[in-house]
Amino acid sequence: MTTLAEAIAADQLGDRVWLYSNYHCNLACSYCLTESGPKVERRELDPATMLDIAHEAKGMGFTRIGITGGEPFLVPELPEMLLELSAVLPVLVLTNGTLFQRSLLERMAPLGAADVTLQISLDHPDPVTNDVMRGPANFRKVVEAVPALLGLGIPVRIATTLEDGDAEDLPRLCMLHRELGVGDDDHVVRPILRRGRAESGDMGVRARYLDLPPELTLTADGAFWSPFAPTVRQGVLDTDLLLSRTTRPLQRPVDAMLTVLGGRPAGADSTLNIR
Amino acid sequence: MSEMTEREILRAPGGPRVRLIDADSAPLLVRDHFAGGDPGPIVASLAQVPELVGPTLPFLGTVLGPSWIPMREKEIVILRTSAVMGCRYCTDTHTVVALDSGLSHTEVRALRGDLPAAAAFPDVDDRALIAWCDAVAFGVEADIRPARAALTIDDARVVELTLLVATTVMLNRYATALALPTSPDVRDRLLQEAL
Repeated sequence: MTTLAEAIAADQLGDRVWLYSNYHCNLACSYCLTESGPKVERRELDPATMLDIAHEAKGMGFTRIGITGGEPFLVPELPEMLLELSAVLPVLVLTNGTLFQRSLLERMAPLGAADVTLQISLDHPDPVTNDVMRGPANFRKVVEAVPALLGLGIPVRIATTLEDGDAEDLPRLCMLHRELGVGDDDHVVRPILRRGRAESGDMGVRARYLDLPPELTLTADGAFWSPFAPTVRQGVLDTDLLLSRTTRPLQRPVDAMLTVLGGRPAGADSTLNIR
Repeated sequence: MSEMTEREILRAPGGPRVRLIDADSAPLLVRDHFAGGDPGPIVASLAQVPELVGPTLPFLGTVLGPSWIPMREKEIVILRTSAVMGCRYCTDTHTVVALDSGLSHTEVRALRGDLPAAAAFPDVDDRALIAWCDAVAFGVEADIRPARAALTIDDARVVELTLLVATTVMLNRYATALALPTSPDVRDRLLQEAL
């Protein structure tokens, strides 16, 4: 068993490799870690590279792929790419769920038979409050998209990012996701992380790297400790959780990650529920 | 007046041409280098690419640091090469190191090009070493040949000192291209020494 496989088996390191497909987004959420928005530089990983990484990751012992951004579905060829990626490893895609109009849903249909899960952000049961954080008409688009995607046979999870004091609204939100067809096991709740736009806006909880579960994350800028790491503040990439600029061969960032893991103090488990 | 963007700051005259990483933004693999305070602009710039730090610093430490060749001799090479190459950062920094390595104020001034080498270095071997530094740094074969002939040291010493010149040239280019800033401590010392 390789050192990587041993680390994954011992739950020291996540078994999923995250890929930042792009940094641009049709929304500009108030707490966005990456300061994504319509006008930011795209910084895309090209599809061929993502597919190569998936093959390499599988060969090394990773068992899952995660796609995030930015908004991944702004990458024009994403549905077809997901089909290819899912033939290598199961895929989880993080999306804001606002782009699933008829034409995109038609292209998503083949994914119903593939190992692809979508994780859609929905932060509040009240449309107005939700949309203040995430953007106009976000709530409506999400509650329309979730049943449509489930109807195609594509599993959907809901991710809720909480601001302080929102917890009292959580039961109503849970009622809503159940009504939409998403069970409690597929509802992810996490705090706002004080990085990126959230830090500029004085929001969220501060986390040390030890609070972030280690999951190798690759972007156009390099390899990072976790999908919460490649953050951007006032247009400048945060480097505090950067592992290496080199992402290929994958062994290079994996070695960097294992080196950092080897130096973690004993019992250094995460104390925040950041997933 | 609007605030300057980071790109504008980096392009402003007099400042470094890349962002220097500080302790708060130090990548995971290189945090130890920042634990004792400011590690200096070479490490702070290299930290932009953390995987470079691991292999580069031991190399630089081996070539530039203490070895079987006395530090006085090595600092003659480093300071002279840096002055010949016109590297402000390395010349400033190694002026202080050279003084601390036992070189006299006059010797340091000569190595910096402020005095003729012959006036400060009566020993013919020292002058031959300085001529070797000049020749290797400029890289002209017609100069290197006679400079090698004037050296009376053994091959092992030639090899190590030549690698020291070459490595210093590399650092001179690096520091000059990125306009690395002289540290306040070094600036204060240079003022004290009137250098």
